Amino acid sequence: MAAEERADQSRNQLPQFMYNWKLHGIVLVLVIIAEFIGLHTFQVGPGTVLLLPMLYALVIGIFLGPRFLKVASEKDMEDASPLITLSVLILVAKLGTNVGPNLPIIIESGVPLLLQEFGNLGTLLIGMPVAVLLGFKRESIGATFSQAREGSLAIIGDYYGLDGPEGRGVLGVYIFGTVLGAIYNGIMGGFVASLGIFHPYAVGMASGIGSASMMSAASGGAAAALPEFADEILSFAATSNLLTSATGLYVMIFISIPLAERYYKFLSRDTGEEESTEA
Amino acid sequence: MKASQAIFVMVIVSAITVIGNWLFTDLEINPINALPGMAILALIAFLGWALSEATGRALPPIVFVSLLGIIATTPWTPGSEWVLAQTTGVEFLATTTPVLAYAGISIGRDIDKFTAMGWRILVVGAVVLTGTFICSAAIAHVTMNLLGMT
Repeated sequence: MAAEERADQSRNQLPQFMYNWKLHGIVLVLVIIAEFIGLHTFQVGPGTVLLLPMLYALVIGIFLGPRFLKVASEKDMEDASPLITLSVLILVAKLGTNVGPNLPIIIESGVPLLLQEFGNLGTLLIGMPVAVLLGFKRESIGATFSQAREGSLAIIGDYYGLDGPEGRGVLGVYIFGTVLGAIYNGIMGGFVASLGIFHPYAVGMASGIGSASMMSAASGGAAAALPEFADEILSFAATSNLLTSATGLYVMIFISIPLAERYYKFLSRDTGEEESTEA
Repeated sequence: MKASQAIFVMVIVSAITVIGNWLFTDLEINPINALPGMAILALIAFLGWALSEATGRALPPIVFVSLLGIIATTPWTPGSEWVLAQTTGVEFLATTTPVLAYAGISIGRDIDKFTAMGWRILVVGAVVLTGTFICSAAIAHVTMNLLGMT
């Protein structure tokens, strides 16, 4: 499998990458700049646009290369790749410590709440055909196997590397979700709730997709559309969000990634596309 | 990679993270105060990495790291209150910034391919969020009906 070869490659890379002090220095400066700019939100119509420090770090980082700001060399950019896989583990540890205290609530959450977690596979079923139709190759896998939150970055980084096509896909949707996820989900939550197709509790549960800002926006929109169920919607959304942050990683690793690989092979054969965009 | 090398990287990233955390919290939690929590997170990350290596990478390190993080903080785990009191000093968003900085530098190599995704990735992003929402709502709705909960 291509994924394993890639993982082997990054593991067998010369360990010198970690002693690239210039690279660590650049990252420190990026972090300082990003945190200094800080978190900014602004209202657009009914929703909120969110700008987070990590976004500035990512975007400035992208333009540091030889072609633009000429701060990072080819070697720095190469050395950065294996460091993502290691540094992301600290982020995953933090995610875990956010889940632990809520384990009792999660265990007691009941069948519908548990089962709707599999609704997250809907990203794949509906999203991937759209991605393939739009001309994406293996980017489709990263872009549509999940809702592209931090855990998704960790998984794609580990399996394929974030600097490959799958990494571009997941980072693209991650940026979209980070900046516009709250406003988009807020509008969608309210709209879907007002259609009256789904039970209000079901809409509440669907609002929890493993991101606090998107969950608040979606359930807030739904609660505003159905004020008589507001309390239940908000509490189901919060519980579902906890559940996603607990189970999401495992669903992605054991179901979404293998399914995405097969589904992509099936769809790309269908449209006669090449298997990989890698030159 | 050797264990000593993994530890080396964890120490560097932790140092960057506590500085970022300091600024993120508006200078409220300085690097010294964040140190115990940071050390715990780095230790969990390292142990998870080591477990994955020890089992021949039967499962990716993220699985072990996540499990260890959960186990360390359940209400049933002795001492979890202390662990939590320390780790809450390190903000989640502060742990994401260094990772995304490394990621940004790394994908700068293929900047053309990245920007070439353009508007199409926005469409995919919107479909992804809609797909999750509709499918989750549909499953929850049907299950509630089947169980007679409505």
